[in-house]
Formats: sequence, C-alpha cells, structure tokens
Amino acid sequence: MSYLLSVIIFLPLLGAAVSALVPKDRPGAAKWVALATSVLGLALTAAVVATFDRASGAMQFVTNVVWVPQAGVHYHLGVDGISITMLALSSLLGLVAVIASWKVTDRAPAYFAMLLLLQVGMNGVFVALDFVLFYMFWELVLVPMFFLIGMWGGARREYASIKFFIYTLAGSVFMLVGMIALYLSAGTFDMVELARAGSSGVFGLGFQNWVFLAFFLGFAVKVPVWPLHTWLPDAHVEAPTAASVLLAGILLKMGTYGFIRVSLPMLPQASAAWAPWISVLAAISIVYGAAVAFAQTDLKKLVAYSSVSHMGFVMLGIFSLTATGLNGAVAVMFSHGVVTGMLFLLVGMVYERSHTREISKVGGLSVAMPVMGGLLAFASFASLGLPGLSGFVGEFLSLVGAWQSAVIPHWITVVSAVGVLLAAAYMLWMVLRVVLGTPTEAVLGLPDVTAREVAALAPLIALTLVVGVWWSSLLGFVDPAVKALLALVTGAA
Amino acid sequence: MPAWTLIAPEGVLLFCALLALFADVLVRGRERAAAWIGAAGCALAAGVSLYAGRGQLFGGQFSIDGPAQVARTATLLLAAAFLVWLAGEGLRRGRVREFAALVLFATLGALLMAAARDWIVLLLALETATMPAYVLMGFDRSDDRSLEGALKYFLLSMVASLLFLYGASFVIGMSGSTAFAATRLQGGTIGIIAAAFVCAGLLAKLSAAPFQWWAPDAYAGAPSAAVAFVSSVPKIAGLAAFARVAQLLMPQVPQVGPLLVAAALASMFLGNLAAYPQTDVRRLMAYSGVAHAGYLLVGLATGTEAGLRAAVFYAIAYAVPSMGVMLVAARHGNTLDDLRGLAARRPWVAWATVLMLVSLVGVPPLAGFTGKLYLFTAAMGVGLTWLAVIAVAMSVVSAGFYLRIVRAMFFTTSAKPDIGGAQPAASAAVIVACALAVLAIGLASSPILSAISAGR
Repeated sequence: MSYLLSVIIFLPLLGAAVSALVPKDRPGAAKWVALATSVLGLALTAAVVATFDRASGAMQFVTNVVWVPQAGVHYHLGVDGISITMLALSSLLGLVAVIASWKVTDRAPAYFAMLLLLQVGMNGVFVALDFVLFYMFWELVLVPMFFLIGMWGGARREYASIKFFIYTLAGSVFMLVGMIALYLSAGTFDMVELARAGSSGVFGLGFQNWVFLAFFLGFAVKVPVWPLHTWLPDAHVEAPTAASVLLAGILLKMGTYGFIRVSLPMLPQASAAWAPWISVLAAISIVYGAAVAFAQTDLKKLVAYSSVSHMGFVMLGIFSLTATGLNGAVAVMFSHGVVTGMLFLLVGMVYERSHTREISKVGGLSVAMPVMGGLLAFASFASLGLPGLSGFVGEFLSLVGAWQSAVIPHWITVVSAVGVLLAAAYMLWMVLRVVLGTPTEAVLGLPDVTAREVAALAPLIALTLVVGVWWSSLLGFVDPAVKALLALVTGAA
Repeated sequence: MPAWTLIAPEGVLLFCALLALFADVLVRGRERAAAWIGAAGCALAAGVSLYAGRGQLFGGQFSIDGPAQVARTATLLLAAAFLVWLAGEGLRRGRVREFAALVLFATLGALLMAAARDWIVLLLALETATMPAYVLMGFDRSDDRSLEGALKYFLLSMVASLLFLYGASFVIGMSGSTAFAATRLQGGTIGIIAAAFVCAGLLAKLSAAPFQWWAPDAYAGAPSAAVAFVSSVPKIAGLAAFARVAQLLMPQVPQVGPLLVAAALASMFLGNLAAYPQTDVRRLMAYSGVAHAGYLLVGLATGTEAGLRAAVFYAIAYAVPSMGVMLVAARHGNTLDDLRGLAARRPWVAWATVLMLVSLVGVPPLAGFTGKLYLFTAAMGVGLTWLAVIAVAMSVVSAGFYLRIVRAMFFTTSAKPDIGGAQPAASAAVIVACALAVLAIGLASSPILSAISAGR
C-alpha cells in the first residue's frame, strides 16, 4: 500500500503530459483528461484516508528509497494525521479547480497541464519526508502558478505573476540555506531524523536561532505573515478563479505546514524563543488583514485580505505550542481552504456573469440570483466563524490555545479575538451590500448557478457543515499527530 | 584496455575535423554533410571516452581521472548536439563546412584541456581551444560588429593567455619542472604573484570577474550560433582544468582561496546585476555566464573534494541550458522583441526554453538546482555560509532577467512572422533534447557524481 502516495503525487504529472499532448484540433479533450486524473487522485486519497490508522501519531504509508547517496538524499514519503488532512484538502481542491475551469477554452491543453502540474507540487509537499524532496515540491508549485497567473490572469497579470514568483522564490532560497545547515549539522536530510535530532538537543540555541530565521523567511512569505504579504493581493486579484482557489486553499497552507513540520520539531528551543514575537506578527496579520478587508471595494481583494487575517489565526495556534492551539491551527488550515475556496469560486461566478467585482456594482444578489446569493451568504458566515460551521472550530481552538500558552502574552490573544469581531463585521457588511439590498444594473437578469457550478461547490458545502458540527471527524485525525509532535517539542524544552 | 585508447577521442576528432574540411569533395553539393560528420565523430568519441576509462599517458602529462572523464564526455556530447543543430539549421551565409571544422578543432582543444597535467600542455590546449573560437566569433566577415567583437575577443583572450603564461613561467621556474606533479611554489610574494597570474588568466578565460568585460561585447557582435558554442561547450573543460590548477595551488599558496572567493563574489554580483537592463539575448546570456562563473568559483574556492565535484557537475548543469537558450536565439532572433509571442508560434521550443531558463534560475528538480544544492553544501561545509547566502540571494535576482525572456515568449504577442519558415526537425530535436537533459541531469545526479569521484 505504501506506493499509493507515490501514485497520488505523480498521477497528475501523467495527466499533465497527456493533457499537453492532446491533438490540436480537439483542445476540449484536455479538460476531460484533467477531470479523470483529479477524480482518480481523489479516490486514491480517499482510500488512504479510509485505511489510515487514526489512533497512531506516527508516519504511515511510508516509502523510503535511497536517491542520491552522495548527498544523503532519499525518496522518503509518509503521512501522519496532519499531512493526510492537507493531502485530502489538496486532492479535493484540485478536483474543484478543474471543475471550476470547465469553461476555459483559451490554450486549454496548456492550462489544464499547468493545473495538474500544480497538483503534483501541492500533493508532494504534504507527504515528502526528505528535505530535498520537500524543497523540490515546494518550488515546483511556483512555475505552474506563475504561468496560470501570467497567461490566464487579469489585466495586470504580468506584474502579478513575476512579483509572485520572485517574492516566494526569495523566501524559499533562504530555506535552502537553512536546510543545508541542518544537513551539515545532523548529517541527514531525513525530516523524521532531523525532528528527532532537534528534540534531542543536537542543535545549539545560537545555531537554531539563525536557522529558524532562514526557515521563517521561506515559510512566512508563503503564509503570508504581515509584513511579507504584499504579493498576495496582487496575485489573487489577477489569478484566474481556479488558481485563486488553489493559491488560497493550498499554497498558503504550505507555509504554515512548514512551520508545523519543520520549525517546531527541528528547532524547538528557537521556536519557543521566537514564539512571542511571531504571535505579535500573527496578531498584526489578523487585525491588519481584517481592517484592510474592510476598506476593499473589490470583492476578490476582500477575500484575499481576509486570508491574511485567517492565516494569522493559524500562526497564533501553531506558536501557542499547545495541543489545543495546534489542533486549532490545522482545523483553520482545513476550513479556510474549504471556505475560501468556496468564496473565490462564488466571486469568480459573479465576475464571469457581471464582468465586475466592484462591491457597489453587484448588489442585491438574493433577488437577482437567489441561489448564488444564498451560497455567498453561507460561505461568508462560515468564513466569519459562525458556530456550527467549520470556520468556528479552528479559530476558537486557536484562541483557547493561545490563551493557555505559556509563551504568548494574554494581551495578544485579546487583540486577536478582536479580529474575530472584525471578521464578522466586514463579512456581514459585504453580505449586506452584495447579497441583500436592491439588485444593481450589472446583476439584473443574470442566470443563477448552473448544475456544474453546484457540483464544484457541493463537496465544500458538505465539508463546511460536517466539520462544523462534528469536530472530531477532522480532529480525530489531527490530534494524535499533534500530540506526537508536541512530545518532541516539549521533550526538548 | 590499451593505454592509447585514452587519447583516442582526440584522434577521432582530429580525423573528423580534417574530413569535414573536405566534406564538399566527398559529398558533392551537400555542404551540411560536414556538420553531420562532425556530430557522428563527437558521438563516437564520447563513446570511446566512456569506454576507455581512466588512466595516464605520456609520463603523466596527459591524465584522465573522474572529473576529466566526465568533463570530456559531456563536452563531446554537447558538441555533438551543437553540430546536429548546425546540420539541421545551416548558416544564413553558408560555409557550414568551415564552421563545423572549427568547432571540432575547438572541441579537440577542450578535450586536451581537461586532461592536461602539465603547464605547457595546458597552455597549448587552451590555445587550441580558443584559436578556432576567434574565427567563429568573427564568422560574419561582412558584418563590422562581428569583426569588432572577434577582435576584442582575440585581443583580450591573448592577454589572458599571456597572463597565464607569465604566471606559469614563475611556477615552472620555481618548480624546475613543467609537470603538475612536480609543482612546488615558494611561499611569500613570489608564490602569490605566480598563483595570481595563473588564476587571472584562467578567470579571464572563464569570463569571471574582474576579467569579464570582454564577454558581452564580443558575444553581442558575434553570430548567435558561434556564441552558443563558445559560451558553453569549452567552459566545461575549462572549469575542469581550473579546478585541477586550483587544487594544486591552494595548499601551497593559501591566498588563492580568498582570491577565488573574491572573484566568485564579484562575478555573481556583476553578472546578475548587469544582466538586468539587457535586451539583446546574447548580452544577457554573456552576463549570465559571468554570474554562473561566480557560482562555479564558489565550488573551487572551497578547496575540497566535494566542492570540486560540485563545480564540475555545475559546469555541465550550466553549459547545457546555456547552449540551448542561445540556439533558440540563433534561430528565432537575438532581441527580446524577436522572441515575443514565440509560445504561440513554436510552443514546443518555447516550453523547452522555459525548462532551461528555470534551471538556470535554480528551480528544482532541474540540473541547475541540483548543482547549486551540491555547491552550497560544499561551501557551507567549509564555513562559507555567508557566501552561500549571497549566492542564493543572487539567484533570486537572476530570476528577474531570465523571466523577462519567458515573459516575452509567453505573455506578449507579436505580429512579426517567425524568421526562416518551418524549423528543421534536427534543430528542434536538439532544443528539446537539451531541455530533457536538464531534467535528467537534475533527477539522476547520483551516477554523474559517482563518475566524477571515481579514480581519485
């Protein structure tokens, strides 16, 4: 069964190759290739999830083969409860992105090939257990995303795509330096071994501190943590809908996943030492993101800035260094992926019909397109953290974890909690203007959601409800892995 | 295996070069036959080089160890690819026959360079490799800029050779022998002067700072096909020779290490920053070559076995995409404007170019990334972490100008029709092969690294 993960990662690569080779006179075939690949990938992921031992906090479905013996590089894959959550999200959103792109006809074979190539990187990051492999998948997502934004994006696509590429590359190359430093110090690129070495005190605090900084640059740009977030609004606004969904849903999570998988266990003392400062940045991200979201007149930018705010909760939960906080962080990662995916899809549908994303021009959806309006309201409620929907679980637990935390000052938690109120305010105000009210000229007479669009949204709606009501459906996977991780971190401190 | 097989690749090349000169006589009216003969010869020589293994000849003056064998084989394969491209594409002004023969002579010099273990042999090899290149750079006789570039290249290359010879004369004088094995430098000023002159000559040949200024001007005047060859193929062997010299000098003159570090630093800064404003692909790639010479010097500056191995690996990882990109420019136009909208006109070539460009940036899993991983690991292993940090920061800078080529090809359109009509299958295949090689070298680095380490 251990080969399953490899198949899940590289199946989209095969799909991408087939999609690129689709004959010129039948460009429509590409999307069917992409759909088939994504459905199969999701089914295989479901098989992994179904046979996953939820009681264990250890790595499962492990593959470990020597790749470059001279440099200590292995082909090492495996999943624990945290990775499998993210892998499931990645497979699901990968499929959703394909369905959402069904109407793309401009250079379709290349488009779907890029979408599938992106899936290779996304899936790979969450299951790689060798640092070089991890870095390869990490960087692999840059290229297809660069093209998705640059070739199929909006008006300022060139600027946004290059800014995205260079900004995130700048962060990750420092990660490369940190990774080599760990290798030279511990003699291995194996992430499981490095975590063990980190928790058993192989790395001195001075060394940990600068390596932590190197990783911080790599991960924080991706999250993004204020003040490294400036690439995000540009990339989001210019990206095509499917790319936005994957950018917000998966790519941002790669950053927080990096903190969980790398920084915490490998550099435990440095993580504890930096936690108060990072919690300050997290609180600033939460409040700043929310405040800026308030001021947006563009629907997509509003959702983009709300991501900055939500990812702040993830950072807060992670650096609380408590089981509650980490559970919350992973729950926000999952829920934000689902809910923001939904929001971007809906914004994309509105834009596709009305050709505008100006909040003032798309009022009164509940009259013009009742189903669309209802769904947008539902997604907004989930996003603002209404109890009973998935958004609530994680943010609640993150805040509780931060309050319990020995390293985060209480006032940070209080400030962050204000962010929840702000989120409610800007989301409800948006709902008030866009969903309620009298319909504007731009949306009158537009068709409501189609069956295909509902198909893209349905799994996300279902997950929002299920996780919101039945927390343990998600946390049952996450908790044992979190406990195992914290045993490493606190064992060292 | 008889020992003479070690030098058999040189023999094959010499024979093919002479054959190519008379190709017109042998195959009437088929000018491009010369290039095909050359390509076949290079491929055959590459096979011989692999098959012959490692060993010594001529009392150790000519010696093939792991790095030399890998460098020679890679040089030959790359030269073969270039000649196939030439055979497919031809030259706008004809005279493929001479061009192919000159390429073969230069390759012959490069092979000798990688194997030389004697100061005089190395000098002769260097000259054999560069002499034909002067003619290649000035191949457009009717174009003044080409002649100007060739003259610059000739003069500065001669200066570099003389610097090297001047330094070598000190070395030989001190050692009382021309053999590498007998080299004994005295400490103090005289040893530093000798080592500095030798390194200065080699740095100039590698187009590394502070001796980089000839490259952009010379390249910008020359025919792109000539640039594609001169800027990439001889560099692998040149690096292998430099690596050997550095390894010889560093233990004897401790100042060589810092000197190489300084040159590495200057090359990375100058190359990457100066490439930014360029709109001519040849100038851009010239500065990119300066920058990559800087990365190579990082490996040499470590003075370790791991650093040397990484540098030889990186030389290959640099040369393949660099040649590929220049070949694309040679066909589709030298300025960024010419490349506009290439993705729509020639999707396969454009995507292959993307692969090569992002490899030069250092994006995994391509050759450029793998090479940088090994280079930086070697550098950080000897405490040059700060240098590695600057090097990675500079590779982010490099993304900026390489992406400008991608942007021109993909994000813009052009009303201009493609130059020269349909692309011949042979030359298109070479571009795609270069791109695939970049991927393969990145993924399967292990056997290459083993081969470089073998026999040392």
